[in-house]
Amino acid sequence: MNTTNQSNVIVRRTLIAMAVASILLVAACATAPVKPDGAAEARVKLTQLQSDPNLASRAAVAIKDADAAVRAAEQPEMNKELAAHRVYLADRKVDTAKALAEARFAEDQRAGLTAQRDSARLDARTHEADAAKIQAATARAEGAEQKLAADQARSEAGAAQLAAASSEQQAAELQRQIDVLQAKPTDRGLVLTLGDVLFTTGRADLKPGATGNLDKLVAFLNKYPDRSVAIQGYTDSVGTEDFNQRLSERRADSVKSYLTGQGIGSTRLSALGKGRNDPVADNDSATGRQQNRRVEVIISNPPAALR
Amino acid sequence: MTFTSQANCASRARTALGFTGMLLLAACASTPPAPTANLQAAQQAIAAAERGEAARYAPGELSEAHTKLALADTAVTEKRMVVAEHFADQSRAEAELASAKTSAAKASAVNDEMKRSNGTLVDEMKRGSGDKP
Repeated sequence: MNTTNQSNVIVRRTLIAMAVASILLVAACATAPVKPDGAAEARVKLTQLQSDPNLASRAAVAIKDADAAVRAAEQPEMNKELAAHRVYLADRKVDTAKALAEARFAEDQRAGLTAQRDSARLDARTHEADAAKIQAATARAEGAEQKLAADQARSEAGAAQLAAASSEQQAAELQRQIDVLQAKPTDRGLVLTLGDVLFTTGRADLKPGATGNLDKLVAFLNKYPDRSVAIQGYTDSVGTEDFNQRLSERRADSVKSYLTGQGIGSTRLSALGKGRNDPVADNDSATGRQQNRRVEVIISNPPAALR
Repeated sequence: MTFTSQANCASRARTALGFTGMLLLAACASTPPAPTANLQAAQQAIAAAERGEAARYAPGELSEAHTKLALADTAVTEKRMVVAEHFADQSRAEAELASAKTSAAKASAVNDEMKRSNGTLVDEMKRGSGDKP
């Protein structure tokens, strides 16, 4: 009885021990593929490299080598030194593959950079050409401007010439008018002498139909409105001084009133009797006395007439 | 007779054991050959790296390769051939990494120079011909 009990206990213990051992074994199997330290990091780096579109295809052989090295490093290994060695190699090979791929990538980029450089050079030349064109255009524009200025100067000169011509023309015209009036230029101005033919002897009234010369004066004064007129009456020495004085005044007034009647402003006109004074000829002869009986119309020089 | 034959058996077994032991000892005593090929490969890799100016572009890796090669040589003198082989392989891997990094750095330097010069061209163009008389 005792012996059977003892043997039963032994059997049970053995079974328990075996069960525990098998559990341990199973557990050991479950955790068996323990990757060496560092292998996972190498795998991560390799995966990154392989998924980089710029690098993955550029160092195929080196990446394949690295992949093999990483796989070797991932093998469970009891020998710690060997495991560490494999991880070391895997790490370096992945780095090497990455660097080679980067070098190749940089070389492949060079074509693009060369194209860029050529394009930049072309741009620079185009730019220079454009700048030159612009400069040329500017120069042309400046030339045109200068030409314009020259033209302007010429046209101004022309205008001056024209003005000169015009003033010459005006002077000529004035001369022509003066000639028409038969006026004499003197220091006092233009002197127009109206002979005694205008007047009946001893009277101050203008003879009808004898105003032709005065009409020319009206026309002249209308044409040159800046000129004023001094009318001076003269007589010969026949008769009393008083009579001659009054006669000369009335004749001067008569001419003035004719002119105002023709529309000449009275402010431009002054009338004065000089009597028998200032004879222009000898009173002894009939011809001389006739010359002395006169009305002088003195047309003042305009303020700018000296110009 | 039977006893003697039994004794013979025992002596033979001993002899066999002795042989085996001898063989085992011999195996232990004869060191494996030095990893000459691996060491040479490492030296060549280092020389190649140095030719490529690794001293300038990947000095850390190059120095590490030298260190590993020295460790391999030391292991050879200590008859630790497996260790020596590992160090030699590591030295080679390190030297190859130095070469690769040098290539990458050089290529990148060339590209940078090209980019810089392109940038200068573009800048000059942008600045216009104002500077030129």
